[in-house]
Amino acid sequence: MLFSSLLIGLREGLEAALVVSILVAFLVKTDRRSALRWVWPGVAVAVLLSIAVGALLTYTTAHLTFEHQELVGGVLSIVAVAFVTAMIFWMRTAARHISAELRGKMENALKLGPAAIALVSFLSVGREGLETSVFFYASVQTAQGDTALPLLGFSIGIVLSVALAWLLYRGALRFDLGKFFKITGILLVFVAAGVLGYGLHDLQEGGFLPGLSTLAFDASGVLPETSWYGTLLKGIFNYSQQTTALQAIAWVAYVAIVLPLFLRPARSKNPSIPATAEAKE
Amino acid sequence: MTLSTALRTGAALALVALVSACDVQPQPTGPNAAGGPITVTASDTACQVSANTAPAGNVTFQIANQGSKVTEFYLYGEGDRIMGEVENIAPGLTRRLIVEVAAGGTYQTACKPGMADAGIRGTFTVTGGAAKGTDANTRLADAARGYAGYVSSQTTAFADETRKFADAIKAKDVTAAKAQYARARISYERIEPVAAKFGDLDPAIDVREADLRPGQKFTGFHRLEKDLWVTGLQPDSPAIADQLVTDVTTLDQKAAALQLSALDLANGAKSLLDEVATKKITGEEESFSHTDLSDFQANVDGSKGAIQALRPVLAERNPPLVSDLDGRFADVQKLLDAQRAGDTYKLYTELSPDQVKQFASAVDALSEPLSRVAEVVAR
Repeated sequence: MLFSSLLIGLREGLEAALVVSILVAFLVKTDRRSALRWVWPGVAVAVLLSIAVGALLTYTTAHLTFEHQELVGGVLSIVAVAFVTAMIFWMRTAARHISAELRGKMENALKLGPAAIALVSFLSVGREGLETSVFFYASVQTAQGDTALPLLGFSIGIVLSVALAWLLYRGALRFDLGKFFKITGILLVFVAAGVLGYGLHDLQEGGFLPGLSTLAFDASGVLPETSWYGTLLKGIFNYSQQTTALQAIAWVAYVAIVLPLFLRPARSKNPSIPATAEAKE
Repeated sequence: MTLSTALRTGAALALVALVSACDVQPQPTGPNAAGGPITVTASDTACQVSANTAPAGNVTFQIANQGSKVTEFYLYGEGDRIMGEVENIAPGLTRRLIVEVAAGGTYQTACKPGMADAGIRGTFTVTGGAAKGTDANTRLADAARGYAGYVSSQTTAFADETRKFADAIKAKDVTAAKAQYARARISYERIEPVAAKFGDLDPAIDVREADLRPGQKFTGFHRLEKDLWVTGLQPDSPAIADQLVTDVTTLDQKAAALQLSALDLANGAKSLLDEVATKKITGEEESFSHTDLSDFQANVDGSKGAIQALRPVLAERNPPLVSDLDGRFADVQKLLDAQRAGDTYKLYTELSPDQVKQFASAVDALSEPLSRVAEVVAR
């Protein structure tokens, strides 16, 4: 009872905290601490919004139709993929300049708009915030009547996920800059691919996209989501034990396109050409 | 990019979430057959659903996971289309699912312990087929259309019966005309508020002598009523009868093209009862023939017909009002049934003051809930 709620908390927490922790590490590594103040409003708005809407859905007679629920989750996920993808390429740009030892140029290349930073934070947390907050209230209600174990487990899971994200952040800081960019970039490619698949699956469930019952594979026997390792996989990479064909195709296509682009060698011909910041808005 | 732009963009995204949260709808009270949520007791091996049927509309499930695995609950439609789902029901947890099921038919409930496989299925039947909650307007329009059909069938019957009545007058057959008089009026009394929409037709057909304006000619049913019961047929009686048939035929044609709103139904149902209270209970309507109870019955029928058409809307928005109305209608009907005489009713003059008082209080009791219908329809 405790453990399975703990896993849910851990999974949902990781989904939200992972990208945020990489973003924070990225800003700290590149001496852009001043931009950190844009991360927290994004996170705070997402958390508060989730809590408010969750309370509305739990304690009033209001409810969201199932289709809309899936639409929110699906669309926010896909928007998140777009922003995380942009982040991946900012990193690549940064890495290029690192190798060229042109710190000044990097400053120019990394003009991340504050809005972009706030949005990445908002989307990472807000994507699953509603479902998580409704789950949280359900465990609060259960705690009032029957047993507090689910609430306790869930809370421990959230705390654990934040702790893991923090460890990741600390660990990431220990790498030298070039390596840091490469590792976190690759990690983010897989995270974003998972989020994309997840968002599409939401839209399939809501009936906006076809092919919900066309499965690419069903690994619920081999690698169940309910296990701790399945939970970690789901929390970090949005692994799902029953993956639809559409999900799988999107995942493979995303990785096949973005990963080579991210890893392609920088043109060392003329490194003094200032890269244009893709982040200009 | 400034702070304000950043916050604006963030706010815009927050709005996306909020806008979609704006389709939240009030949950009708007692949406399920049992009057409360349908409870689902889930375990690792079982999925007990407390009811396997519910009326169309919002169906609320309350899922309690008593197993050791995390479970999910689904309501599937045709071809396993997901109508609604709750994921992440941790052991020991109770979670709520409200599904909007618009169409009646066969659905399937499913618990998925371990969140895998097809789940433990059960058949779930949805009865009726209320339109979606968001389509309240469609349902109101349906009600209005349905009642317009009723009105048009009544006016057609009215025209037929009136022709027979006029023929009897023109044949100087007083007995047949007297017998036909109340019969012809039934269809009219059922839809009188609608007929009143057609300007001068209603007074030409139905004016009472006491209500004549100075210089107004006494025509229509009540003029012939007076001829039949008081003065005897007059030289111009056949002409009056012909004019009546013409007017009634015109009414029938106009009613066929009638556009009604749901609010018309609600107001009509109420004004029919007001008619009863002011004209029939007092014996004023049929002051010569005293066939008031026949009209009374017709007014009640018409009122009931309008409420019947509005029933799906009322049942969704205010179930207690519906049962209140049903009860009051039944009370009035019981009193009327006690006064039956053959295929019609006793004459008003045969009622004792006590009986009149009983009728009056039953009608008042029905008027109260009827006066609340318009408000429920309009919201």
